[in-house]
Amino acid sequence: MSNQPVVPSGHDSDDAGQGVVNEFDQPVEGVSLTKDAWRRLKKNKMAMFGLVVVVIYALLSITAPILPIHSFRYQVPEHRDLPPSFTKTAGELWYERVEHRMYQLAERDGRTTLTPEQQDELADIRHRIETETAMIDGQEVKIHQWRYILGTDHLGRDMLARIIYGGQISIAIGLIGTITSVLIGIILGAIAGYVGGKTDYMIMRFVDVMYGLPYMLVVIILMAIFGRNIFNLFLALSLVSWLVVARVVRGQIISLKNSEFVEAARSMGASQRRIIFRHLIPNTAGIIIVFATLRIPAFIMQESFLSFLGLGISAPFASWGSLVSDAVERMTGAPWQLFFPAMAMTLFLFAMNFLGDGLRDAFDPHSKNRL
Amino acid sequence: MKKTVLVLGLIAIVASFGFAGGAQEAGGAGAGDVTEFVIGNGAEPESLDPHLVSGVPEHRIMMGLYEGLVVPDPETATAVPGVAESWEISDDGTMYTFTLREDAQWSDGTPITAQQFVDSWLRILNPETAAPYAWFPSMFIKGAADYNAGEAGPESVAVRALDDRTFQFETVGPLPYTLDALSHYSFQVVPLHAIEEYGSEWTLPENFVGNGPYTLAEWSPQQRIVLEPNPTYWNADKVQLDRVVFLPVEEDTTMYNMYINGEIDWATNVPLGQLEQAQLRDDYHVSPYLGTYYYVFNNGREPLNDPNVRKALSMAIDRQLLVDTVTRAGQIPAYSMVPEMTGYPGIEGLGDDLDTARQLLADAGYPDGEGFPELTVLYNTNEAHKSIAEFIQQQWLDNLNINVTLENQEWGTYLNNRRQHNFDIARAGWIGDYQDPNTFLDMFITGGAMNGGQFANDEYDSLIAQAAQMQAGPERFDVLRQAEQIFIEDEMAVMPIYYYVNLNMIDLQKWSGWYANIMGWHPVGDIVGAN
Amino acid sequence: MTQYIVRRFLGLFPTLFIIITISFFIIRVAPGGPFAREKELPPQVLENIEKKYNMDEPLLVQYGMYMYDIIRGDLGPSFRYMDRDVNYYIFNSLPASMLLGLVSLSIALVLGITSGVVSALRQNRLADYLSMSVAVIGISVPLFVIGPVLMYFLSIRLQLLPTSGWIGGRNGLKPLIMPAITLAFPYFAYIARLTRASVIEVLRSDYIRTARAKGLRESVIIFKHVLKGALLPVVSYLGPAFAGIVTGSVVVEQIFRVPGLGRFFVQSAFNRDYTLIMGTVIVFSAILIVMNFLVDIVYALLDPRISYK
Repeated sequence: MSNQPVVPSGHDSDDAGQGVVNEFDQPVEGVSLTKDAWRRLKKNKMAMFGLVVVVIYALLSITAPILPIHSFRYQVPEHRDLPPSFTKTAGELWYERVEHRMYQLAERDGRTTLTPEQQDELADIRHRIETETAMIDGQEVKIHQWRYILGTDHLGRDMLARIIYGGQISIAIGLIGTITSVLIGIILGAIAGYVGGKTDYMIMRFVDVMYGLPYMLVVIILMAIFGRNIFNLFLALSLVSWLVVARVVRGQIISLKNSEFVEAARSMGASQRRIIFRHLIPNTAGIIIVFATLRIPAFIMQESFLSFLGLGISAPFASWGSLVSDAVERMTGAPWQLFFPAMAMTLFLFAMNFLGDGLRDAFDPHSKNRL
Repeated sequence: MKKTVLVLGLIAIVASFGFAGGAQEAGGAGAGDVTEFVIGNGAEPESLDPHLVSGVPEHRIMMGLYEGLVVPDPETATAVPGVAESWEISDDGTMYTFTLREDAQWSDGTPITAQQFVDSWLRILNPETAAPYAWFPSMFIKGAADYNAGEAGPESVAVRALDDRTFQFETVGPLPYTLDALSHYSFQVVPLHAIEEYGSEWTLPENFVGNGPYTLAEWSPQQRIVLEPNPTYWNADKVQLDRVVFLPVEEDTTMYNMYINGEIDWATNVPLGQLEQAQLRDDYHVSPYLGTYYYVFNNGREPLNDPNVRKALSMAIDRQLLVDTVTRAGQIPAYSMVPEMTGYPGIEGLGDDLDTARQLLADAGYPDGEGFPELTVLYNTNEAHKSIAEFIQQQWLDNLNINVTLENQEWGTYLNNRRQHNFDIARAGWIGDYQDPNTFLDMFITGGAMNGGQFANDEYDSLIAQAAQMQAGPERFDVLRQAEQIFIEDEMAVMPIYYYVNLNMIDLQKWSGWYANIMGWHPVGDIVGAN
Repeated sequence: MTQYIVRRFLGLFPTLFIIITISFFIIRVAPGGPFAREKELPPQVLENIEKKYNMDEPLLVQYGMYMYDIIRGDLGPSFRYMDRDVNYYIFNSLPASMLLGLVSLSIALVLGITSGVVSALRQNRLADYLSMSVAVIGISVPLFVIGPVLMYFLSIRLQLLPTSGWIGGRNGLKPLIMPAITLAFPYFAYIARLTRASVIEVLRSDYIRTARAKGLRESVIIFKHVLKGALLPVVSYLGPAFAGIVTGSVVVEQIFRVPGLGRFFVQSAFNRDYTLIMGTVIVFSAILIVMNFLVDIVYALLDPRISYK
């Protein structure tokens, strides 16, 4: 299994760039690299597992609105802090919770039985469970017959729905943040690497400066100045995350700059812009894809840290990070509120990391020590 | 290779730490016969100079280090003699004359004189001191506000020393709550001789001079503040703790864990997530707190400039459900701005009434919420505020069919926007500075600094001004009541949500002298071991 | 080479200067100010406070005055913690952050290298999957979850360690353990993965094959040859890791009440404590750029492909 050199694909990427229509020529030429990589990737069990998990998550996020789950924001105050259960209805769990609490309080006060008022309250709850309905989307729903397989949060919202919608937001933050930062990084890194000289010096000094700024400060200040919405959140995160890409791309480009195929393109009179965007950048694609896969988890983690500081996504929307950080202080009383979102998040990041590692090995089998 | 050596060196460091850690004494308090009282005290204090602080954690430390003319009674938080052994109030209620104790002195032995009180009060009022709480004495003392604002000299402030032991001041009116307010740290006497000698560093342990039951032994920022008994304190016999330790603890969950683990003796807050567990313990204490949690409507903005809209929004919330399911610590649903207070009859408010709310919204031109613009609710970043906002958002949607957006901002930005009227609806809370309805009402006069909602009502303003010139008694309370009626029942300028409660964890089998009171003031000088 | 190092080193100062300048202005642009309180200050008082901190001067003048003070080594008085100046707070809290960082990094190194090597030697077997899974969890679980969970089990449940605080009290060095472990977790994970990858690569290399062919004992090969070659990337990672650990300990310091610089960092940003936030930024930035510089030098020394013009 010899590794195809990266150089030949540089030529075909030129063709690939000629037009999207040209679909038949492209795979013929591009196959060598991608097919080879795919073959290697398929061999890697962990990476394939990662890929499957990521695909499942993506499907869940995309189809969230049509999935048969409750609303992620609809609160049933009575259903707060219900533990997960497949078998019991919300009503039963609610009743159990209230009754359990009453006995706890009775024990504290040195009683073993409930007071008549408490008995009445329980009877009332039983009655409400049987009869009470709520209007949701114009339909009468017996809400106490609902089942929450992952339990509810402190305001009586379905954890399952919140985790799925939270995943939507977290993954979106990861994707958009990565794409933005990779784009900025590629453009600046490529320019610095190819043009060199003063331009390179200025750009790299700028990167140095940004590297030296404690990024939390930048994010806090940006969020404070521009207000808190999801767009600014992406922006703030990407603005401080393109640096690594820029460095990596610059390094790659410098080492490719003097290779034969670039010389060839240059001697054929290709413009500088064309050389950068048609020849050099596509040749760094492998490492960028790898970097991006490893970057998405990093973004999700950063968003969770911002959530912990209260600078994350605005209520009532949630991200995995905000779900986890909200639930940490309820860890002992309602462990499922921490456990499930943390599991969902960890599993995804887990998958993403293994997929990233696998991709790196597949695309660039030689540089294993560059994480 | 050198790098390998480096790695091995680091490994050695870790290993040595590991062993050293293991070799340490095997846990346990082991404080011997020394009675130590450890307090989990919220944020790191900004200063130990009573004229420069403004927070609650600072206040707890101040009560240990200093003593004013009067001190709060630990049970009721009303004034009892401190440095002053007795006082007289003139018949019109505007002239206060205090006789200082003969044996009152600083921890360095310097006697405390009436002139020092004069100079200290002038110090906090001096605009050069730039004291954040100078507004408080300015509300009471005649001429103080002008001096603090730089419009008059110190001679215009009506404070004087009649002799070494007689101190006198005049108030701007017969404010019946003056005496209790005097125990606040902004009326504190400070050791001017030490301040002159050490400048801003006079509060460091090596320079510190105080006059409270305790004096400062150690101050390690972000770690601990240690107080030890002040031997020169006039009432040194009542001081029984050997050490009082204040630990800065920002995380409530950490504070709770520390308490459960026996690392602190008094937890000054209980996190929402641990409430249900804490409520089962007999060292958990919940008591009413003189404070109101409310939402400010921006009275200057469409459609909130219509009282009907404001009333509809307020009446469409099930507050009982809110306090039962969201805040859960026994908070009391609030329908008026002023919490229950001795002697003050209070107003009834409009209550929760869904049908009327819908009717009012329809009257305002939004039947069933149709065409109602999407307003934004602003709150400062905090887990509890968030839950409350989410609950209210859902209630308005369910009950009035209107959508609101939630926006949280960190404290600085939030304050800025609230002050500049840059919001639709904003969360706010107010803790009373003294036990009188005025502390909840006078901030809403037209153009008032705290009046971010731009409430403006001439009648309200004149009623508040009128009350300020009245003697204590039912007539005065009635005037304040009328003002509150206008404010809430007629205008619903703000939407009260609940009255605060005070949450503490302290084992009263082990400690006595600690009492729940409405101000949440627990003078540490009164706390003693129960045996 | 020396010339390259000297040039890069001299380049650090303008970088730091630009960072200070940028930070100075972006902090001032943020809404709100250091004196914003629930109860607004009377205009005269505000004016006086501003005068006290030179905030009545034009921003550029303030900047000039600040830079002048910094050059003399004076970070100015804190806007919030009024009894001591910023120098005091920085120099008293930096050691705690440094110690915590050093201990965490050591833990991360020892555990990371061990499990990385084990993983690589048992590639694609159970031990490998297990230790890599632990490593990925380390990267995927936020510190603010690991911290409280550890505290709950080790302090509340097992009563082994004090919940929080710092060394030097009656608990000795114990309060260091939990924050150090928590903080070490993600770095342990990263180092483990780094080590695994690089050990695998070295194992495939010709000189190891030669060593094996010579019939050397496996343990000799691993310790004498493989580790030596494989640890270089890890060593070059130490720089950014240390910078990251020292400057990134905000959450851990808050949860475990470590009296470090990180605790001031977020707090002072929220308080708009201009001088204290600038002080922390300067210290953090200096650590970051010095570490980045060291990494560049190490790379330059290790990687023959980089030329110094």
